[in-house]
Amino acid sequence: MHGLRLLGAVAVLLFVVAAFTPLANVLNVRMAGHARLEPSDAVVVLGRGGADSDGVLTNRSLRRLLRGVSLYRDGLAPLLVLSGSTGETRARLELARGLGVPEAAILTTGEALSTRQEADELRRLLLPLGRRRLLLVADPIDMPRARSFVERAGFVVYPAPTAASGPSVPESRLGLVRDIAMELCALAYYRLTGAL
Amino acid sequence: MELLAIVGIVALTSAGACLAGARVLALQRSALGAALGEALECVGLAVVFLLVNLAVGMASILGFRALTGRFVSIYWLNDVSLAALSCLQALVFHCWRRTMR
Repeated sequence: MHGLRLLGAVAVLLFVVAAFTPLANVLNVRMAGHARLEPSDAVVVLGRGGADSDGVLTNRSLRRLLRGVSLYRDGLAPLLVLSGSTGETRARLELARGLGVPEAAILTTGEALSTRQEADELRRLLLPLGRRRLLLVADPIDMPRARSFVERAGFVVYPAPTAASGPSVPESRLGLVRDIAMELCALAYYRLTGAL
Repeated sequence: MELLAIVGIVALTSAGACLAGARVLALQRSALGAALGEALECVGLAVVFLLVNLAVGMASILGFRALTGRFVSIYWLNDVSLAALSCLQALVFHCWRRTMR
């Protein structure tokens, strides 16, 4: 039973550190790396979390789209490419149009449910058009894995993570720590299986 | 500020519970350490349940992918309800063990 007590004490300590210190924010910034906002062939907004059954985008998906639209409007690329699940792409397409991005400047990929599938879909869509330099929009913690997959698909990637400082309230920090743990597990899994 | 408010509220109600326990319910202050230890045991048990739930969930998803070739996201497991249910499992298991003492 001493083992369980020790495990419990460690869990409580980790909970306190994760919720009440800026550890999650520091990790978030470190995983994002440096943004490189350079003129590119396309702004690519990767999927994240899809859309709810009523067609409303999740918080993260919405943040990514807004970042992508902002980069497009700054004139950093002539195209805005949306990827992800069908529902997410459809909801984003409508929103991007509503935010003033011309329909001719928006491309959507085929349905992709994982980052690896998204990279494959991007290759099918953009390489035949000669678009190789991409401004890649993803969450800070997803950027290392997303960047690796997209580079392996044959693109030159300029990372454009969404805001990297992260949340300041305990509940959101706990959520971020959970996401970071999940992301690190995914990175380890892909490295072990040779996918990255 | 929000952090201080949350920590302050919890500290205040903990002190109140200590006082109420000792004066109203006549609980022994000396037993507080043992209670804390038992609570940590319960938390440890919740961690074990959570890890087992995650391991079973991941194995099921990876197995499903391998067997059917269809993609199911591991992100399904990234849900706070799994942690809450693990806590509930641990609480029930802990209470069950206590009835045997």
